[in-house]
This record gives sequence, C-alpha cells and structure tokens, in this order.
Amino acid sequence: MSGGRQKSEMALTGSVLRFARASMHDGRGLRTVLFLKGCPLQCPWCSTPESRPFEPQRGYVQDLCTLCGNCVDACRVQALARAADEKDEKTVTFDPEKCQRCFGCAASCPQNAIKKYGHTLTVAEAVEQICQDEIFYFHSGGGLTISGGEPFCQAGFTANILRETKKHGIHTAVESCMHVPFSQIEMALPWLDHLYADLKQMDSRLHLLWLGENNGLILENIKKVNASCFPLVITIRLPLIPGFNDSDQNLRESAQFCAGLTNIREIEVLPYHRLGSDTYRHLGLDYQCLDLTAPSEKYLQERATFMRKFSGPLPVKTGSGLI
Amino acid sequence: MSVTKGKSGPGKAPTYLDRIRRLKERVLSTMPEMDLENARLLTAGFREAEGEPLVIRKAKAFRNQCYHKTVTIWDDELIVGCAGSKIRGGILCADSCWSVLDRELETISNRKYDPFYLRPEDKKIFMKEIKPYWQGRSNYEEWLAQIPEITRALRDHGVIYIDRKAVRGWGETTAGYEWLIKEGLTGIVNTIEKERIKLDITKPGDYEKDYYLQALLIAAEGIAALAERYALEAERLAELEADPRRRGELLQVAATCHHVPQQPARTFREALQSLYLYHTCIFMEQNAASYNPGRMDQYLWPFLKADLNAGIITNDEAQELLDCLWVKFSEPCLFQDALTAEFAAGYPMFQNVCVGGVDDTGKDAVNELSCMILQATIDVQLYQPSLSVRYSMAKNPNSFLRKVVELISLGTGFPAFHNDDLGILMLMNKGIPLKEAYNWNPCGCVETNLEGRLRHYTALADINLGSMVEFALGNGKNRKSGLYIAARTGEPNNFVTYEQFINAVKTQIAYAIRAVVAGSHVLDEIGFNRPVPALSLTFRDCIEKSLDYAWGGAKYNTGNGIILIGVADLINSIAAVRHLVYDTGLIRMSELLNALEKNFEGSDKLRKLCLEAPKYGNNDPLTDQIAGDIFTFIADEIEQYRSKFGKMTPGILPVSGNTPFGLEVGALPSGRKAWQPLADGVSPSGGTDFNGPTAVLSAVAHIPHGRFVQGTLLNMKIEPAMFNTENGIAQLMAILKSMCSLGVYHVQFNVIDQDTLLRAQQEPEKYKGLLVRVAGYTAYFTELGKDVQDEIIGRTVMQGISVG
Repeated sequence: MSGGRQKSEMALTGSVLRFARASMHDGRGLRTVLFLKGCPLQCPWCSTPESRPFEPQRGYVQDLCTLCGNCVDACRVQALARAADEKDEKTVTFDPEKCQRCFGCAASCPQNAIKKYGHTLTVAEAVEQICQDEIFYFHSGGGLTISGGEPFCQAGFTANILRETKKHGIHTAVESCMHVPFSQIEMALPWLDHLYADLKQMDSRLHLLWLGENNGLILENIKKVNASCFPLVITIRLPLIPGFNDSDQNLRESAQFCAGLTNIREIEVLPYHRLGSDTYRHLGLDYQCLDLTAPSEKYLQERATFMRKFSGPLPVKTGSGLI
Repeated sequence: MSVTKGKSGPGKAPTYLDRIRRLKERVLSTMPEMDLENARLLTAGFREAEGEPLVIRKAKAFRNQCYHKTVTIWDDELIVGCAGSKIRGGILCADSCWSVLDRELETISNRKYDPFYLRPEDKKIFMKEIKPYWQGRSNYEEWLAQIPEITRALRDHGVIYIDRKAVRGWGETTAGYEWLIKEGLTGIVNTIEKERIKLDITKPGDYEKDYYLQALLIAAEGIAALAERYALEAERLAELEADPRRRGELLQVAATCHHVPQQPARTFREALQSLYLYHTCIFMEQNAASYNPGRMDQYLWPFLKADLNAGIITNDEAQELLDCLWVKFSEPCLFQDALTAEFAAGYPMFQNVCVGGVDDTGKDAVNELSCMILQATIDVQLYQPSLSVRYSMAKNPNSFLRKVVELISLGTGFPAFHNDDLGILMLMNKGIPLKEAYNWNPCGCVETNLEGRLRHYTALADINLGSMVEFALGNGKNRKSGLYIAARTGEPNNFVTYEQFINAVKTQIAYAIRAVVAGSHVLDEIGFNRPVPALSLTFRDCIEKSLDYAWGGAKYNTGNGIILIGVADLINSIAAVRHLVYDTGLIRMSELLNALEKNFEGSDKLRKLCLEAPKYGNNDPLTDQIAGDIFTFIADEIEQYRSKFGKMTPGILPVSGNTPFGLEVGALPSGRKAWQPLADGVSPSGGTDFNGPTAVLSAVAHIPHGRFVQGTLLNMKIEPAMFNTENGIAQLMAILKSMCSLGVYHVQFNVIDQDTLLRAQQEPEKYKGLLVRVAGYTAYFTELGKDVQDEIIGRTVMQGISVG
C-alpha cells in the first residue's frame, strides 16, 4: 500500500455526534463510544434523536434562554427573530427554512441555550481521541464501540477507524441497526471484534408501520454476517419496547430466528428508557413515546426468561440499556 | 465478611455493635468544649521547674499532666485513655499559643467554624493562671514578632497561609508505636540508660545530651504513671460495679493498664491499649493534627495472629476491640484559631490509619487484620480515624481491591486510596532508601511519612495559586486591596508573546515560594524552642543522638512542606489567556483585563469565551501540557531551596483552604468570578469535567505527582451506577488500576447518592455544577427535565447485588 493512500484514508472525514468515554454499557469493559450521525430508521423510542440526520442540527433549550437576543443579532439570514407569543410574552422565533446552519447563534449564546449537535472529524482525529483511554481498555478489557446513528451508513469512515484502532491493539465493537446494504457492513468486518446487531421486530408489517422500513434487509444482513468468514462475535440486541415488540409471538420468533444461526454468541434484551426525551424537546420534535413506561426489572427478566425457552443454545441476557 | 454488617440488617448485626452504638452515641451527643486542665497543669509544671533547661521543664510539665490530670473511664469502654479531661475537649497548648484563645475568649463558643464551648470557670482559670504566666513567652508570639517582611505582606492579604504551625504543635508525624508496643517503656528506658552511661559530662556537649536523656526518662515516667492511674481507676470502678459482666471487663482493663505500655505487649488487646495510651500522651504534650497511627495492619498483626492461633480471642472479640478504638479516635477535637479552622474545618484530627501495600521485602502485605480495619470503618462510620489504603497494583490481591471498592460504595468518603508505587517514590524523593521507603504510610491528609524515623512539617504553608495569575495580570497588584504587594512583573498589555505572560506568572510563583521559604526558616528556628520529649521517646535515633525531634534528632529530616492550592484555577487561567489572547486572538489582553477588573459585569460574551476555553480535567492537549510544564516549574522552584533540615518539599492538598483562599482572589481568566472558592487539590474545577472519570484521571496524570512528595489530593464524584452492579464494581476496580498505571498518587470518592440528587432537584441553584451521565453524554443535572431527572434518581437504587 502506498503511503499516499494511507494518508488520504487518515484524512477521510465523517459526521460525528460525540464521544462518550468510560461507558460500561456498550460492550465489555470500559469503552469509548463514538456516536456517528445519520440513521436510515426512525425508531420513535430512539434515545439519541440528535443522531438521526447526517448533518449537524440545532437544538434550543428554552429553560436556559434569557431572551437576551444575542442570537437574533448574530444570525446573518434572519432565521431568528424577536417576537411576542400568544400571551404577549417576549420570545424568539426560529425559521428552520431560512437557517443555513452556520451556528453563529450557538456561538453567541451566553447561556449555552443553543446547542450544535454534530461536527466533522477525520479518521486520524478520531483515532487520537480513542487512544486516550488505552490504559483503561487494558485494565478493563474494554475498547472502542462505534454507535450512532448507523455506523455502517458511513462505511468507509467506520472501516478506517476500526482498522487504525486495531493497530493499537484495541478491542473494537459496532452497534448497528443493520438496515444498510451488506457491502457497507462487509467493509468493516476484517477489523471488527464484536458486532451488536439490532433485531427489533420479526413482523415485517409492524416493522414498516413503526420504523418506516420493513425488516427484510435486516434479517438478510444478520444471516450474511453470521455466515461471514471473519471470527467476530455477534450479539443480537432486542430493545424491549412495551406494546411494540414484547409480545410472546415476537419474542418467540426472534429467539427462534437467532437459534437457527450458528455463529451468534448471545441475545441481549435492553429495556426501553426515556433518558432521551429532553433532546426531542430541544430539537422541537414531539416525543411519540410519552405514553410508554419503562419495563420493570422484573418484567424484563420475565420476558428474557420466556425468550430463552426458544433460543436453543443461545443465552439471553438483560442489559441495563442506560446508554 | 459482609460489607453491610454495620447497617441495620434485620437480625444480622453482631451483638458487639450494640456497645459500639452506645459509645458512638456518647461522642455524637457531646458538644466540643475547651479543656484547660492540661494548660493549667502544664503551667504549674513549668513554674515548678524554673531555671532548668527548657526540655527538662517541658518533660516535667508533661509528667505533671500525667500525675494530676483527670482520669476517667466511661461506661462500656474497653480501650481507655483521653488526652484531656473531657471526651470532646479542645486542648490549649499554652506554651505554643496561649494567645490564640486570648483573642477568641468571647467568640470561640459561637464562631462559624469549629466552635468550642468555653465555660466561665475555665475563662477565669485562663485569665488568672495561664495568661499571666505565658504572656510574651509562647511560640506564636515569637512568630508574630519575627515574620519576615516579604512573608508578612503576602500573609496579610491571603496569598499565603503560614500560621498553622505557630498556632498548634508538631503533628504531621508518625511516632514509633511499633517499638513501644513491642519493647514497652522498659525497653526504651534501657536504651536511654545505655546511652547515658556512655556520656561524660566533663566533655563538651555531653551535658546537653545528658539532660536531654533525663528529660526522656521523665517523660517515660509520666506515661507509666498515667497508665497505672487508669489501672487503679478501673479497679475502683470494678469494686463499685454491680453488673458482673462489666466488672469483669473493668478488671481486664485494669490488668491491661498495669502491664502496658510499661512492659512489652503480650496480646492484641494490650497492643491496642499500649498504642492508644501513648497516642493520647503525645497529643497531650502538644495539641496538633495528624499524629498518625500508620500501618496498624502490619505492626499489630503478629499480636492478633498469635492470639487467634492460641484461641485466646475470637474474630468478633478482636473486631469489637478495634471498633472501640475507632470510637476513641473520634473523641478528640483539634483546637485551632478561627482562621486556621477555616483552612481545615471539622475539628480535623487526621489520625491516619493505613492498610495494604507491601512489606519490607517488597511483597504483598495484606492480611486478615487489613480487612478487619476496613470493617471497623464500615462498622463505626465516624469521622476518625482517617482511613487510607496503600494499593500496590503489582502485589495486592484483587480481593483486597474489591473490599476497598465496597467501602467506597458506602459513600463515607473513606478510604483515601493511595497508589503504593507513588508513595514509595515520594519517600525516596525525600532521600529515604528504597528498603525503608517500602514501609511508608500516608500522613494527615495525603502526605507521606515513615514511622519513628522522619521529621518535617508536611504542610507548613499554603500558596494561593489564584493570586499568582491575578498578580501576573496586575503587575503585582492585589485586586481586593488595590495594593501592590508582589513582584512587579510588568504591564500585562505589553506582553506581546505568550512566553512573556507565562514568565510573569512564573516570576510571581517564584516570589511567593521565596516568601514562604523565608517564613519557614523562621518557624524552624522557633521550633527549636518546642522540644517534644514524649514524642521523641519512640524515635530511636533521637535517643541515639540525644537530640530531640524538634532539633533534628530523627533518622531522616527534610525541609518543610509547601502546599499549592488552586491547581485547576491556575491551569485554566493560563490556558484561557493562551488560547484567547495569543493562539486565536479572539480577545485582546486589554479587553480581558477590563472584564476581570469589572468581575465580568457587562462582558457576557467575553466570559462565555473564557468559560469555553480548554478546561483542565478533560484530557485536552493544551491544559495537559500546561499542567506538566507549570507544575514541573513549581517543583523545581521549591526544591532549589534548602533549610537546616534538607530540601524543601512540595505538595498539593487543600484540606478546606481552597474556600478561604478563594475569598481573596478576584475574577480569573478561567471565567471564575471574583471571591468564589478555588478548586480543591488536583481536582478539576467543579462542573468543568465533561468527559467522565477516565478523562479526569488522564488529565490529572499530567501533573508530575512523584515530585510533589507531600502528596497530591484528588476528589472525584462518582455515581452509584459505578458500583451497584457486579459489572460496575469490576469497572471501578479497573479504573483504580488504570489510575495506578497512569501514575496518579491519590483519589477519594464522593458518591452522588439519591439524597444529593433529590436535594439538587429541590434546590437547583445550590447544585449548579453537578454533572451526571445521561444517555451517552454528560449534562448538568439541574438543567435536565424533571422526567429525565427522575429516571436518573431511579438508577441510584442498588440493584440487588451481593457484596461481601
């Protein structure tokens, strides 16, 4: 390989939401989780809605805003304006159509009430950050987890980060919704130690209804990864969403699907949680899961135990699903 | 062993905990009072010995205290002894600093920090007997008269705090408990007699040695007599006692006190009693913080092991004795003046007990007693003793580390977790050979010490690092007073390059260090008039050299400790100036100076830039580099000075000094507003560490810890999610091992428990900087929506894991 090509791969950029260091919930040990932006699915319970679009997004935390108007003055295209609401109280309006995403408003806000979700990063910059916790990976058996968003949507970026990270002897994992062309997944497999593949609903119609896409590609990809020649560990993850996928039928079919595959290590059931609900508000989005309650520990265990009856040799674990 | 043993688990608590609860209750329900009995007896002793050498007078005064002090054995006690006449008495060290009380006669009962109730009759004793004798003769008065000019200017403006050693005694030392326990006073007296025989008082110098050794013998006589008085009191009480069980206990106390510390201890019980009685004696000799029992799991284990093997004690009985001793450690209250109390609030005795580490062959030293000592803190849960762990990553077993994590999870703030390799390195950097350095022990807060062999003040004076930036940006001007009191480092608007700015900061630091060193030398001189024969008694080399601890008789001596406070404020302020003024040019120096002058009034945008500049604790390359550079400079600067006793020694521990120091510092380029507290220890400024524990430790590791030989203190907040699952415990263990790999010296954890979060929900303005993990990111708790807050509160609940 020529040095030139290597250099250009290190300079490749991706759209990144953020890093989370010292995570205990995204694979073994202490992990640095790299959240990428851009996801093909629209899961209504998603705990990181700010990771859905590929481009950076603007968030607004109304509780912090003092209506000082700095942002209005900073906006070059008049997307922000002083106005009065229905009760004749002072307010600031935002027109997303006009906004050019320069984020001058965020920079001008003394209260940090305006957030910028997302930025670009090169492979080299990402790897440098990942390596900062090398010692912690060593003692805990942890490493890197790329999450999202959908990591395989930025397949080249993801694959290059994984390859470079492996050069430092660091364990790698990816969390994926699997709704991407298999060719994009395949690119990463040589440098991937652990794949967390989501399996949300076996009934394709329900899948389409809730997530905007059917599940055909996902099931197909899981089978292909299972048949891959690379020795990666595969965990199937099922986010337990009351009323959507916690029925006996779905859990049985999911377990049976996994049991039929030879290279799956385990099934992990994660409880729905609402820690992301604030972010919806900041993005000006409705949180569609307001009526959902998080499943109790007991219910989670009961559902996992139920699944275990149909999962053949596969263990069914429950995770805390905090992150 | 179960970690929850001390809690009110139904039917699970061992019965001895009833006694411990009663002993604890007595401590908790007693209000601290001034105790002038010692001062009165000391004064009488000095008066009777007028004309004799100072050290003889001190020894006789001490012996007088032993002969005549009130001897009380309280109900339920198994280990006895008390330095004063009251359970929670503040002891006035009249010969050191009688005048402190003189200034506070009317206020001490109600002062804000650490009040002591002063009875009217005690006030009378003070005015009639103590003050008239000591006026013009105390160490504190000598200090006030001799403070060098350069030191006084900075001292009077809260730039340095250097009075601590003048308002109390030596402290900050680890006596040779092991020697006393093993050989008894008899053995020590034999050693003294052997030395005395060698002397010929017709030879120049031998007379001084002879009267010095006499002074030691007088002190030993006092200690033996005091123990005997406790034995007699126990017998008296036994005779009056109706309950046969208690009568038996009292007779056992009597038998124990008849034997130790006069004779070598034969049992674990005798060893504990010998230790504690002597411990009260050195505190009685000089009121001070940080007399450290040190490595109790090492020097007491042979006694316990033998007793267990011989079947003369059960594990529960041994645990009960330890727990009783733990309550005793919580009784004494440090008396200090109002200002010193602000710098170390909470009557802090800092009796540091240590477990773990390696033995003198360098191998694992953890034993059963190490775990029982951890258990004593779990059982008793009082503020003393200060429990420290020496953790040797290479040698100590994982089971020990896990037990430590379990204790951390109780949220008492104990133990202070020390990286053993760094402690050893620090001692070696103090000039102590590796073989002996293996036996180091934490002292006071996080300082390093060596039992029976090492003399220095570990924390002589504190330097306010916030002021250093203020001076560099004000050409030596103190913002609060408007006076030019420091080095004139030039008009900051003329600093064209970053180098010019940073050189000004360094010049200010060098100036302050110089001022402290000048003061330290004066205090060393005054210290020669402060002999401590009772303490010196267990320093073998003091006997062999016939030279008091105060005069440099210990085997090893080093220069005093100079402590830096406001680490994060210094680094963040330098980083902000570098980033905003020099690297990016986002603001001009004149704009910054103007905003600081006005405490950021009307400069919201500029302050936002300041707050968003790189912050120490996030593993940012700029702040990491500054941390390494500036603290290497500081260590170099301090170490270039020598005292009569050796190289001066740097350390970073705030106790609570970051709060009063903050009151003296105006707005800083870090974005910190005027008169706010500074950051503590080597910890990041509150609410600025957004990248979690691994980033904090990686950042903190950029300070060259091994060179700050008086220790470095790191406080970290931790969420219960870290240890309420098996996975969490494993990860916290990994974090602690990583911390050792990184070369960080110490960490102490504050648990963000459910109560804290509930209070933060109710009073958000008081908890503005409280950071928590949300879904893959870190956020200010008070800025989260109620539902998300509730969810986070929910996860603090223990998830039913088994510990122990």
